[in-house]
Amino acid sequence: MPMWGTQSLRLFRHELRRGELTIICFAIILAVATVFSLTNFSEHIKSAIISESNSFIASDRILQSSRPVDQAWLQQAQQANLDKAELLLFSSMVFAKEEMLLASVKAATIEYPLRGELLVTDLASGETKSQKAPNIGTVWVERSLLNKLNVQLGESIELGVANFTVAGVIEKEPDASFSVFTQGPRVIMNMADVEQTQIVQPGSRITYRYLFAGDKQDIESYETWIKPLIQDNQRFYDIKSRQSPLARALERSEKFLSLAGMLGILLAAVAISVASNRYKQRHQPMVAVFKSMGASKNYIAKLYLLHWTCLSVFSITVGLLVGYVLHIVAMNFISDYLPNSAMYDGMYPLIVAISTGVLCAGAFAITPMRALIATSALAVVRGFDDVMGGNPWLRQLPSFLAVFALLLLFSKDITLTFILIGSSVVVVGVLMVLGYSLIRLGRGVGSGAGKSLHLAIANLQRRAKQNNVQLISFTIAIMLLLIMLVVRNDLLDDWQAQLPENAPNQFLVNVNKQQAPKVEAFLQANGMKTTELYPIVRGRLTAINEDKVGKQVSKEEEDKSDQGRRGIGRELNLTWHDKLPTENIVVEGKWFEPSDLTPQVSIEEKLADRLDIKLGDELTFQIGSEVITLPVTSLREVNWQSMQPNFYMIFSKGVLSDFPATYITAMYVPMLNKPQMQQFLAQYPTISVIDVDAMINQLRTIITQVSLAIEFILALVVLAGSLVLIAQVQASMEERERELAILRTLGAKGSLLRNATLLEFVVLGGISGFLASVIMEVAVYFVQTELFKMTVSWHFEYWLLGMAAGGAFVGLVGFLSCRRLLNLTSVTLIRRTL
Amino acid sequence: MNIQPKIILECRSVTKSVVTSGHKKGDTTLTILNPIDLQVKSGESLAIIGASGSGKTTLLSLMAGLDLPSTGEIYLKENPLHQFDEEQRSNVRAQHVGFIFQSFLLINSLTALENVMLPAELKGDSDAREQALIMLDKVGLGDRVDHYPGMLSGGEQQRVAIARAFISKPDILFADEPTGNLDSNTGDYISRLLFELNEQQGTTLVLVTHDNQLANRCQRQLTMAAGQFVESQNYVAEAG
Repeated sequence: MPMWGTQSLRLFRHELRRGELTIICFAIILAVATVFSLTNFSEHIKSAIISESNSFIASDRILQSSRPVDQAWLQQAQQANLDKAELLLFSSMVFAKEEMLLASVKAATIEYPLRGELLVTDLASGETKSQKAPNIGTVWVERSLLNKLNVQLGESIELGVANFTVAGVIEKEPDASFSVFTQGPRVIMNMADVEQTQIVQPGSRITYRYLFAGDKQDIESYETWIKPLIQDNQRFYDIKSRQSPLARALERSEKFLSLAGMLGILLAAVAISVASNRYKQRHQPMVAVFKSMGASKNYIAKLYLLHWTCLSVFSITVGLLVGYVLHIVAMNFISDYLPNSAMYDGMYPLIVAISTGVLCAGAFAITPMRALIATSALAVVRGFDDVMGGNPWLRQLPSFLAVFALLLLFSKDITLTFILIGSSVVVVGVLMVLGYSLIRLGRGVGSGAGKSLHLAIANLQRRAKQNNVQLISFTIAIMLLLIMLVVRNDLLDDWQAQLPENAPNQFLVNVNKQQAPKVEAFLQANGMKTTELYPIVRGRLTAINEDKVGKQVSKEEEDKSDQGRRGIGRELNLTWHDKLPTENIVVEGKWFEPSDLTPQVSIEEKLADRLDIKLGDELTFQIGSEVITLPVTSLREVNWQSMQPNFYMIFSKGVLSDFPATYITAMYVPMLNKPQMQQFLAQYPTISVIDVDAMINQLRTIITQVSLAIEFILALVVLAGSLVLIAQVQASMEERERELAILRTLGAKGSLLRNATLLEFVVLGGISGFLASVIMEVAVYFVQTELFKMTVSWHFEYWLLGMAAGGAFVGLVGFLSCRRLLNLTSVTLIRRTL
Repeated sequence: MNIQPKIILECRSVTKSVVTSGHKKGDTTLTILNPIDLQVKSGESLAIIGASGSGKTTLLSLMAGLDLPSTGEIYLKENPLHQFDEEQRSNVRAQHVGFIFQSFLLINSLTALENVMLPAELKGDSDAREQALIMLDKVGLGDRVDHYPGMLSGGEQQRVAIARAFISKPDILFADEPTGNLDSNTGDYISRLLFELNEQQGTTLVLVTHDNQLANRCQRQLTMAAGQFVESQNYVAEAG
């Protein structure tokens, strides 16, 4: 080995053992460990959530079409190793003895469902178990169908021109439509039986669904292949594209995990930057001595390149180990919540973590390395100055670019990357100016105050430049932590608000006019919280400002969400109401005045946008054989995620009162009251009940998982933040040592120095906390509006937290780090430093 | 090989001035060294004395090739240092020069032995370790070779630095206030050690000091004031 190699390794070995590289190594270790555990963890959570929620669509992806698709597409799926199931969905009359009923029929191939459980209570055994599609010649039906048709298990029903034995009762359907307007109870039959029913004729309204499941890569490559081929009357979608509350929660939690990871990276980057600067300062005398003894620039460069490489490799390795352990510990905590099928074992976290380490270590080494190599031999007699040529902003460019690349690599989200980088740049800029002024401002305050405070302020001023660097890193750390905390709380609140304890879990549909008051009375008597009863009249939008809407109709039909909100091409569920429903906001125009009796309509804004309907437009509806025309007087924003009946069109009172209507309501029925409810409803067999308890519970479980994940990540990020603070305090220790020695020599009392040090850090932390809060508010505004599409809110309570926690934490870390110095006798101090 | 073996170091009209960037364009030139002529013979010991700010350390750094003169010529072992770039000067230092500093400048992360080995290693000696052990023995630290500088007293640290300076058998040794950070007893011991080794190895010694006693041990004394040599006898050390 060449001499520079030997010396470099020797230096590395000694320094590592003597703890001189602890801070810089720790910073890199933390960056790698955070990113590794976080990515690993969030990949796990993601795959757990997705596997859990994919049961909502009974597969990983669905291809939906109004006509059978090209067989070649399905063959391609087979070649891609995907599991496949086919579904046919249609409405049909079901006959049994004298009774008949419109049912929603699902014909399934035997692979269905690919994900999730289809729970059926078996005729033979009476047991409820997970099943695939029914046997040929048999059907499974929803319990309400048995009641309404008055048939028993084992009897037969007629579907089209064929007879089927009712072999089981459907208890849980993995991809049950979450629509309150589902047409009729479900019947599941075997795909092979469809032909003999002769229901499927040319022109029949049938939905073809092809379900796919498989490995992530296989699915994704198939998706890439098929997406360009999808036609207008087809859709290819996954759980996330469903406009369900779950999909939104998923998307947000994914984004949050991503955000958290990015904050972790940023914090670690700040820590590495602080530590690498310190590394440079510590090694400068060494370089000068080497050079004075005749070491060439080239020699120094090689020596330090190897030194830094050793340091990086060591730290990255340890970081991966620590990250792995962290991850295992975390998984242990939450494994109860995760389905076993969800274990993630990809290489992605490893790759991201190693890139983080390499990029951070690489980019942050450039400036200190250049300074080290450029250290003049003359420094052995002249001392070291920190002045480096060139633009200081330009010098930060490599680190800046590295952080940018890292954030982008990690999040694949350019908006988020810009928000975070942007706010950090703003922090630096604003602080450069503000930091000096605030500290200067403190001069006046300090001089009149007690001695410790005076000394503290004097210290702050004297080291204004270093303190500004400290201030910046403290502020960035506190700001990132605050962003994390605020966004987490907002998200959890938001979810909680969507799913309050007593969110409606049952919908009553098809309540007729005579039944309505009785239902209302019953619910009131039993103290059940309910949304109001909404009347429903079915009608069709035929014209806008006397233009027929034929063309838009057909487009809208394809757009209709599979959640079942009827598109406008078909009949709409029209309602009338005098009060604006909760979770609805009028965004344009005015809600109906109670005194105003003119017929008018309020329309959902997105639909209005799609159909290009403006305030004041005249809409024509056909209801039965009647035609009514009335103006649009308001546009509403509707929270479709709310568990309550929502409507595209709401008419003013009186317009529809002459038409035959059914009523719908949603309410919360506690578990205890369910039998009572059933008894009551038994009197009214025509009323349909839709129970969404199972769905809500599943949603809650998932949100619990995500919340846990978020707590864990928060803890990690806090750790990273603390490291920044510690690294920064450590960096100023040597100088402090000198200063304390001088002050001690001049006769300053221990208690004075202690208080002054403590105060200095508390003031610094407090100022950082304040500035961090202000900038956090701006950043959170963008995060909320751009990333999470949430309503914007203020967080003044966190300002207080930022300042208090900043002061307390920085004070504590600073004080603890200085305590060792303060506890030394003055003789030792002086001997060590002077 | 040398045509004039007796002169190891020569300064011809060497000056040093620095431009201090004051207010905007109003840069001012500060002269630190006025034209200096000096010849140092091989094996000679020379003390340069003078008050703080007299320019003695600047002169030392020029002679050792740590810095370049503004004008004038410097030859060290016939190498025209004033024409050399940093790399070439490094090379000259590695081959011919040793240093002892006031603040010792040992590398804290390396043991005494490893500190002493450094110059020999840089020179490419394969038996650096053995040489270093011998040197440490010579300065009386044979039993402390594995100690780190932080575990040694000031005097001991300077002894390590002396061992480090002599290990590469330099032709010329520059010492910058070698006893400046030590109490007088330790200082005596160190200066005795320095001259002993110097004599043994026949090294040329140039030292810069406030200390008259130390200066008097040298064969020749030059006094500096305001960037030039003055009458050596008249000098009274201000910081005795």
